[in-house]
Amino acid sequence: MERIADGATTESQMGFFTDVTLCIGCKACEVACKQWNQLPSDGFVFSGTSYDNTNRLSSTTWRHVAFVEQMDRENPAQSRWMMMSDVCKHCTNAGCLEACPTGAIIRNEFDDVFVQPDVCNGCGYCVPSCPFGVVAVQQKSGTAQKCTLCYDRQKDGLEPACAKSCPTDSITFGPVEELRAKAEARVASLRAQGRDDVRLYGVDGEETRDVGPLNAFFLIPDRPEVFNLPPKPVLPSRFQPAAYTAALIATTGLALLGARVFRRNGASA
Amino acid sequence: MQEPAITAGQGQPHGEQFAAAGNYSPDAVAASLQRGDGGFGRAQETYFDHPVLRKAHWRWEIVSYFFAGGIAAASAALASFAHRGGDADDGELVRNGRYTALAGAAVSGALLVKDLGRPERFLNMLRIAKLKSPMSVGVYVLSAFSTNAAFDALEQAQEDGIAPRLPVRWMARPFAALTRAPSTALMASYTGVLLSATAIPVWYTGRRHMPAVFACSAATSGAAFQSLLLALFGGSAKTAKKLETIELFASLAEAALLLDWERHAGETGKPLFTGKRGSKLKTYTLGLGSVLPALLNLPSILSRKPPKHHRLRTILTSALALYGGYVLRECVVYAGRESADDPRAYLRHPE
Repeated sequence: MERIADGATTESQMGFFTDVTLCIGCKACEVACKQWNQLPSDGFVFSGTSYDNTNRLSSTTWRHVAFVEQMDRENPAQSRWMMMSDVCKHCTNAGCLEACPTGAIIRNEFDDVFVQPDVCNGCGYCVPSCPFGVVAVQQKSGTAQKCTLCYDRQKDGLEPACAKSCPTDSITFGPVEELRAKAEARVASLRAQGRDDVRLYGVDGEETRDVGPLNAFFLIPDRPEVFNLPPKPVLPSRFQPAAYTAALIATTGLALLGARVFRRNGASA
Repeated sequence: MQEPAITAGQGQPHGEQFAAAGNYSPDAVAASLQRGDGGFGRAQETYFDHPVLRKAHWRWEIVSYFFAGGIAAASAALASFAHRGGDADDGELVRNGRYTALAGAAVSGALLVKDLGRPERFLNMLRIAKLKSPMSVGVYVLSAFSTNAAFDALEQAQEDGIAPRLPVRWMARPFAALTRAPSTALMASYTGVLLSATAIPVWYTGRRHMPAVFACSAATSGAAFQSLLLALFGGSAKTAKKLETIELFASLAEAALLLDWERHAGETGKPLFTGKRGSKLKTYTLGLGSVLPALLNLPSILSRKPPKHHRLRTILTSALALYGGYVLRECVVYAGRESADDPRAYLRHPE
């Protein structure tokens, strides 16, 4: 990384690699994220489903550790717990960024998707436009909020709070190219140990068809939907041509109807 | 979501709870209960059924905006057609339509601003123009539409002698020539594009229908609203018949498109077309809002005798059509909330 005059660093494409096989579910990332970004509490609610009482990402929870229990009484050795620290994916083709009408959502110099809190007016259109259900409008601030990939820390050459606090290096931060190489090596080593079920999510699978490679990608030992990751996330803007065509055809038809009914001296149709 | 068959006494309560929540396929649940592993098989399809997507916060403000915007657009279009191609006795419609368009645009703007998380920042929408974002397109469509509506209303007010003569024609004419047709057409239909171009399954699978349904519904509601004004405040019976004709064709097209949409949507369309919301949509939008007014108006439209006023019938059919138009927007917006909360709809990837 090179430091430039104002203390900011310039580097292409910084991101996260989150390795589910290393996560121990300590939730240090959730806490560190809340502390650094001064995010309010989400209340104290028991989900009643697992050790995960956060349930999902929200406007005030930018890291969320999912807790997947796969128990097998018949063959107890096959039982397993998997934890996954979920986060904004910082997509190459970001639905939220495309949808934002104010230009509040930008791609910053680290190639990450950032919501400028002083520009956002809380229209909420980014929310249903995110293919991963990440960004959300917070009631109190009235603006859309999500992971900033610790833009402020990155500008000072620091790694994001979650990656810094992760005790097992399940979350690693760095240039995406380096992280991908590391992830490929990790997959190869796990496969060599007989873990045939591991795969990368967000590098080159079919999940990248619309949204492109993800700057925050994952190593997962099961199908994506087990971790609430969509197998085929959609990029909303690809539905626009069909929708605008339908609008054009319908309004043209209605205009012809209007012109015919209101022709001069004409009796009604 | 299919309810798996669970026999009492089989499995553990915990397992039944999850089975009831539909976290597993019926086969997997049956196998899991056989094994007695409390429902935690290896066939998880979702993460405890937590939503994958996040729903928009939009409520009645946006529903009302879609409704008011549609009426405003159709009223402006009707006034414009009546002004250019109509007969001398269509003057009432021109006047009412122009004033309605301006009032509708003002109400639309106010509702949109109220819906923002930070209303004082509404002008931030105008700091950039972005063709890729239907919301940005919509802001400029509404701005252009409102400007035209204001010019037209001013011209009408001058003709009515209630506004001073201002030298605005040199601005109004070229602006209208450039923007009136596209901004009016998009005002009636872009809201369908806005909802279609999202990640919400029930909305994006309706992308070939929703903008057209919204446009037809705008025409129905606009014609119904103008008929209502004519019935209440007086106007030519010939104009009323023309409005009824437009309402008839638009509402039948709307009904046909809705039915085709349901057929195309299949499983993904459930939040909109089935259950309580489905009955509401079919009763008030399809039945009472489209088909019944069409049937009631048909005899006088087909009749070759000189048209007469049927005030009571007009008031009834217009009210039904208007309510149907509101219900349509409400059902579509709220179906999106339900669809976003159902992880299966999205994970199934209805494409």
